Amino acid sequence: MPDTKFILVVEDDPVLKNLLGHTLAGKYQTLYASDGNEALALLEANKPVLVLLDLMLPTMDGFAVLQSIRARTDELKNVPIIVVSNLGADTDIQKAKSLGANDYLIKAEVAIEEIVAKIESVLGSIAAPAPAA
Amino acid sequence: MAALLASVFMASIAVIAVVAVFLEGQLAPLVSSLETSAHFRTLILQVSGALFVTALLLLAAVFFAVGRFIGRPVSGVVAAMKAFAETGTAQALPAESGPKEIRELAAAFSSFAGRVEEAHKHDMEISRVKSDFISTAAHQLRTPLTGIRWALEALEREPLTEEQKALVASAVEKSRQLVAVVGTLLDISSIESGKYKYEFAPVALVSLAEEVVRDFAALAGKSQVSLTFEKSDEAGAVVRADRERIRWVLNNLVENAIRYTPAGGAVRVTTETAPGRAYIRVRDTGIGIKPEDRGNIFERFYRAPNAIAKENGGNGLGLYIARTIATDHGGDLNFEANEAGLGTVFTLSLPLAS
Repeated sequence: MPDTKFILVVEDDPVLKNLLGHTLAGKYQTLYASDGNEALALLEANKPVLVLLDLMLPTMDGFAVLQSIRARTDELKNVPIIVVSNLGADTDIQKAKSLGANDYLIKAEVAIEEIVAKIESVLGSIAAPAPAA
Repeated sequence: MAALLASVFMASIAVIAVVAVFLEGQLAPLVSSLETSAHFRTLILQVSGALFVTALLLLAAVFFAVGRFIGRPVSGVVAAMKAFAETGTAQALPAESGPKEIRELAAAFSSFAGRVEEAHKHDMEISRVKSDFISTAAHQLRTPLTGIRWALEALEREPLTEEQKALVASAVEKSRQLVAVVGTLLDISSIESGKYKYEFAPVALVSLAEEVVRDFAALAGKSQVSLTFEKSDEAGAVVRADRERIRWVLNNLVENAIRYTPAGGAVRVTTETAPGRAYIRVRDTGIGIKPEDRGNIFERFYRAPNAIAKENGGNGLGLYIARTIATDHGGDLNFEANEAGLGTVFTLSLPLAS
């Protein structure tokens, strides 16, 4: 199935994971990870086109996942990452962006449809030729 | 102090001069009737002259001694007080010198400054603990709130009866309000713990005001309130500001103005420039702020009774945050009753970009 495009959703809260799944189902092929290590393993195995990443995760947090992905040497290094977290301090947002997050959404502050819109816009912008890094 | 000493000095000289003239005037005729008048007269003049010079020297000595033994130690203490007032840290006072009273003053000031510093540290610690607590509590609230909000939004998309739709809509609205309160609490804890980071840059105030007014056109229309922005002559005011934070402040002021203005009323936004600052005013013809509430409206969580009666959405935090943002910019946020009768004028002042 070479054309299947996966979105990797990293979310440790089972209820939020189900709600995201409920909304994303039918629109995208989704994979779910509930901690950082699982996220990296799924990323390696399935080469998703986009990652929705929570920050407060057990064992390995989202910042570490970001760092680890951006430190890769293969094409997955540049996979778009949208942080979807309830951390919302300026310092958290700046840190995530400096580590390579493409976008940052504060969970409680966005409607679930806004997440879909953000996914669309990020996928749309990478379909166009990417600017030189 | 120096001025006082100088005037005492000048006054003494004047008194001596008057005395000398008096002596010459009164004694000289008396003595001149005597045989040896010329000799006496010279002698009296010489004595007066010597007295005058001695008095001058004595005064100079006193002046010097006062400066050396009182003035200097006092300025030392004053300098330490000023430094304390500016920096909030008590500095070691200069080596103990001067009269006992001044040493006592210095010692009293040292212990006063120590107390103040200690109390300040204690306050900072309490404030930090409180901010940390608010921040943690708010984060703990956000996760379940996210679940409630998303679930309700998903439910909204399901086929529902009209009654169910109305019920879900109420729950959605309230969950969003709760999310907004939590966000505001986090803002407050971050402002108060000094974690609020500002990115100051030159901002064209007029274009920002225009954007804000444009953004609220829909709400104003819905509320049947006329919302206008009147460009001033000096349209070029460029302030030093964090654009997004100031936009937030203006959003808040304009939204409040619309919210508390009855249908048929008007909200007018104007700008103005003065030396070094720019002002932006939001005038409404709304319900106004009662005199007894005027001292409180910038307090956290304060809501004037007439505001609660009119609208239940506010949380009493907007103006507190808005004013904090204004003062963090080196500006201010104030209000007064609208001179045209009804309503209120809020004035945000900001320093011009240099």
